[in-house]
Amino acid sequence: MGVISTLLGFSGFGIGVSAGLVIGYYLFIYFQPTDVKDPIIRPLVERDSETLQRMLPEIPLWVKNPDFDRVDWLNKFIEYMWPYLDKAICKTAKEIAKPIIAEQIPKFKIDSVEFETLTLGSLPPTFQGMKVYVTDEKELIMEPSLKWAGNPNVSVVAKSFGLKATVQVLDLQVFALPRITLKPLVPSFPCFAKICLSLMEKPHVDFGLRLFGADLMSVPGLYRFVQEKIKEQVANMYLWPRTLEVQILDPSKALKKPVGILHVKVLHAMKLKKKDLLGASDPYVKIKLTESKLPSKKTTVKHKNLNPEWNEEFNMVVKDPESQAVEFQVYDWEQIGKHDRMGMNVVPLKELVPDEPKTVTLNLLKNMDLNDVQNEKSRGQIVVELLYKPFKDEDMPTFEDAGTVQKASEGTPPGGGELVVRVHEAQDVEGKHHTNPYVRILLKGEERKTKHIKKNRDPRWDEEFKFKLEEPPVNDKLHVEVASASSRIGLLHPKESLGYVDINLGDVVHNRRINEKYHLIDSRNGKIQIELQWRTVS
Amino acid sequence: MGLISGILIGTIFGIAIMAGWRQMMIYRSNKRISKAVDIKLLGCLNRDDLRKICGDNFPEWISFPVFEQVKWLNKQLSKLWPYVEEAARIIIKESVEPLLEEYRPTGITSLKFNKLSLGTVPPKIEGIRVQSLKKGQITMDIDLRWGGDPNIVLGVEAAVVANLPIQLKDLQVFTVVRVIFQLCEEIPCISAVVVALLSEPEPKIDYTLKAVGGSLTAIPGLSDMIDDTVKTIVTDMLQWPHRIVLSIGGVNVDTSDLELKPQGQVTLTIVKANNLKNLEMIGKSDPYVTAYIRPLEKFKTKVVDNNLNPVWNHVIQLIAEDKETQFAVFEVLDQDIGQDKRLGIAKLPLIDLEPEVEKEIELKLQPSLDMLKIKDKKDRGTLTIKVKYHHFTKEEQDAAIEQEKKILEEKKRLKAEGLIGSTMDAIDGAAGLVGSGVGLVGSGVVSGVGLVGSGVGIVGSGVVSGVGAGAGLVGSGLGAVGSGISKAGKFMGRTITGTSGSRKSGASTPVNSVEENGGVKPR
Repeated sequence: MGVISTLLGFSGFGIGVSAGLVIGYYLFIYFQPTDVKDPIIRPLVERDSETLQRMLPEIPLWVKNPDFDRVDWLNKFIEYMWPYLDKAICKTAKEIAKPIIAEQIPKFKIDSVEFETLTLGSLPPTFQGMKVYVTDEKELIMEPSLKWAGNPNVSVVAKSFGLKATVQVLDLQVFALPRITLKPLVPSFPCFAKICLSLMEKPHVDFGLRLFGADLMSVPGLYRFVQEKIKEQVANMYLWPRTLEVQILDPSKALKKPVGILHVKVLHAMKLKKKDLLGASDPYVKIKLTESKLPSKKTTVKHKNLNPEWNEEFNMVVKDPESQAVEFQVYDWEQIGKHDRMGMNVVPLKELVPDEPKTVTLNLLKNMDLNDVQNEKSRGQIVVELLYKPFKDEDMPTFEDAGTVQKASEGTPPGGGELVVRVHEAQDVEGKHHTNPYVRILLKGEERKTKHIKKNRDPRWDEEFKFKLEEPPVNDKLHVEVASASSRIGLLHPKESLGYVDINLGDVVHNRRINEKYHLIDSRNGKIQIELQWRTVS
Repeated sequence: MGLISGILIGTIFGIAIMAGWRQMMIYRSNKRISKAVDIKLLGCLNRDDLRKICGDNFPEWISFPVFEQVKWLNKQLSKLWPYVEEAARIIIKESVEPLLEEYRPTGITSLKFNKLSLGTVPPKIEGIRVQSLKKGQITMDIDLRWGGDPNIVLGVEAAVVANLPIQLKDLQVFTVVRVIFQLCEEIPCISAVVVALLSEPEPKIDYTLKAVGGSLTAIPGLSDMIDDTVKTIVTDMLQWPHRIVLSIGGVNVDTSDLELKPQGQVTLTIVKANNLKNLEMIGKSDPYVTAYIRPLEKFKTKVVDNNLNPVWNHVIQLIAEDKETQFAVFEVLDQDIGQDKRLGIAKLPLIDLEPEVEKEIELKLQPSLDMLKIKDKKDRGTLTIKVKYHHFTKEEQDAAIEQEKKILEEKKRLKAEGLIGSTMDAIDGAAGLVGSGVGLVGSGVVSGVGLVGSGVGIVGSGVVSGVGAGAGLVGSGLGAVGSGISKAGKFMGRTITGTSGSRKSGASTPVNSVEENGGVKPR
């Protein structure tokens, strides 16, 4: 009797619990509204001290740390833009999701999956401070502190066998400290080639997930578990030093790397015009690639010859075969005075077939203006042989980060290596009488110089020098001196030192690469940025 | 019995679980919402808020200027500058050269960059302010300062000199750039960007000109001409309410709302002035008033001889493009031999005017509009005006735009015919034939008279005086002919100031006649 009663009691309890849950569900959850109301925001001044207390852990970083900058203007900007962003993002999300859903649902025997509501809410993300780091490398680093505690409402309705299931995500909160690195910097807009994103801390994520109107995240313990899982997942992917890289510019294009070599052979010219009063002209040819900063190349001068034969070869580095052209200018050499141009012509590189030599005979023109009547006059002809050799993929200089050290170039002695000195820039150099700075580099008696920059206290050279060495310069020092030369040829104050620094090369050999700003000795505030690389054959 | 009690207890238990869950849901939901509110509030703290939070421990390094400081942006900019400089060089060359061509003064046949480098000093952003003045628009004001060391060499070609390189040095730019973003509901959410320089504070652009391997005096008035060109480009294209509208690719939107359009008409009656200052040695001043909204479109009253309390009762009509920021300027001048002297100046912000209500206003005359330059506090008298603002209806606005287009076409036509050397020249009712004294009546539209010397300009230096005669073909089509002796401009008869309504995108066709057109005095 007692056993039966107990059994009945238990089964009754079981029935009761299920019935109770159902009643409770309808009573407390189902009939409750599912829509999200905008929170009421009362100004901070009206708050009492208790609610203020609760805010304290969330105080923005720019209040706490002087090295974080306030970015309220950016917050305001986003705030004004948010309603539009919200609509745009939701629209795009719906458009992207539609085909995916359409493709997936037949597999699961679901009739339809639809967004019932999709909005990101009225609260925009905020930046609670921005910090930037300045390094000597070609990169920009910034760390915004991003906090988004929004009130989005995303509910998806799935229908299957006449049943309706709703999943609703709401009150999403994401707090993260991302690091945005823009690198490398390049001289064409937007001035950087890559965006690298990574998280400096594990992000904080919180949200409500309602299934049939009941918030699963309220089940004790479940929320913590889910949050941990998400954090772990995200951390695996993007926690520093892992990064998400977004390519903005094609790096080879952005840096204008060489893509090929043009072999030019100037054969001969015919029927040139006489320019000199006495005797025939003294012709020579100047060869130049357009849009190239490299100096033009010249053939030898053939004296008193109107049908000269040169048969001279030249090589030129091509950066963009689509737009560049090779320019030939025939000049008349003069002992005194200006050399006269006897004629010119150009060959666009896109007319050449790669790896196929082509001999062309060019009519010499006065200038490249098609309408100029003077071009109708015959000025003679020039015969050249052109061969464009694009770099093969393997010998194409691959794009490398500033941080990696390349191998030493050919001809470096085994066991030794190549010391590459890159003079970037100097700051606050000042001479007593003149400031036309240039840099003198001394290593084991070998001297190199940069170009002079006129009247500049913050000169920028960006010049590279290579020293080939028999053995690693562990005990050597590199002497770097900034000097200024008078712009006029004057006997008064001809040359002046603006400061120097001796750099221990042992460190460079150990680190392979050092890029640093050095304070100049014998200078008030002067600094110089030098990049040193130690390249070996292996 | 056991079953029933079991069910009962079970039901209560089940309901309790659900109730508990619900409590938990509400609790967590409230917690999240209150946190969201906190974050939102902390996203836009002001001084009082921060003081309340921090109490006595208010961090002293924090300040709240109107223009928020952006140290981090400056740091990034100085690092990025060498690259930006190189990238910007090409873009500036491509975009500014056609502009120079369009605005180039008559005496110069070609104006090009020979060398362009922006130097090593990056611009500095003093501060940024973001506000939303209009729904769907974000207004961003950037306080920009640039004391750069650019190396710009302009190749100037003139009729008399083949090619004179002019170096522009020690450039200093202090200005507030206003950028307006027009929002839309499509990614990237910005459909158009409007760029302008704020007129208040006035953009300050300083530089020194130096001729390379020659002297600036090789072409007389050259440096003035370059100054003028730069100034006209800045004031007529960039300075608010003038603006550059860029539409962002991909989104097709109507940007015509953003463009500057005639918005309304100000009918002014310059009634009288009282207690003017006497500047003449003998007798009293001979005052007259010039009034304008845009400085290139000035209107002038009659000269009242020998009177310190003159009455003019002169009616003029000015076109306003932007009621919010523009103001009408009244300058009372004393006609004199040589340079006319200023008796006083006053401005009337249009924003104070109520539409369609005629108001009589007494303006206090100041020695200068620039408050910093005012030294003496002497009374300079008052100017009484009656003013009525009429806001254009859609049709009237369209008509005004049409008229504006006409002027532009007229200018282009004249330019094509070679009558005027560049669009910068005045196209007034008359093209004055300098020197010969014969007035050539053109088919102009504007009622002003200008001495247009291009094409017939006398190449030379100094002041060329000639007789200009002109007719304005105005509104009804009847021209009011005025003639007078005027002095030609500084050089080649270039007189674009005075009362002639000349400018490039003139929205300024005065609909009604202005009688007193002759005898333009160049400034």
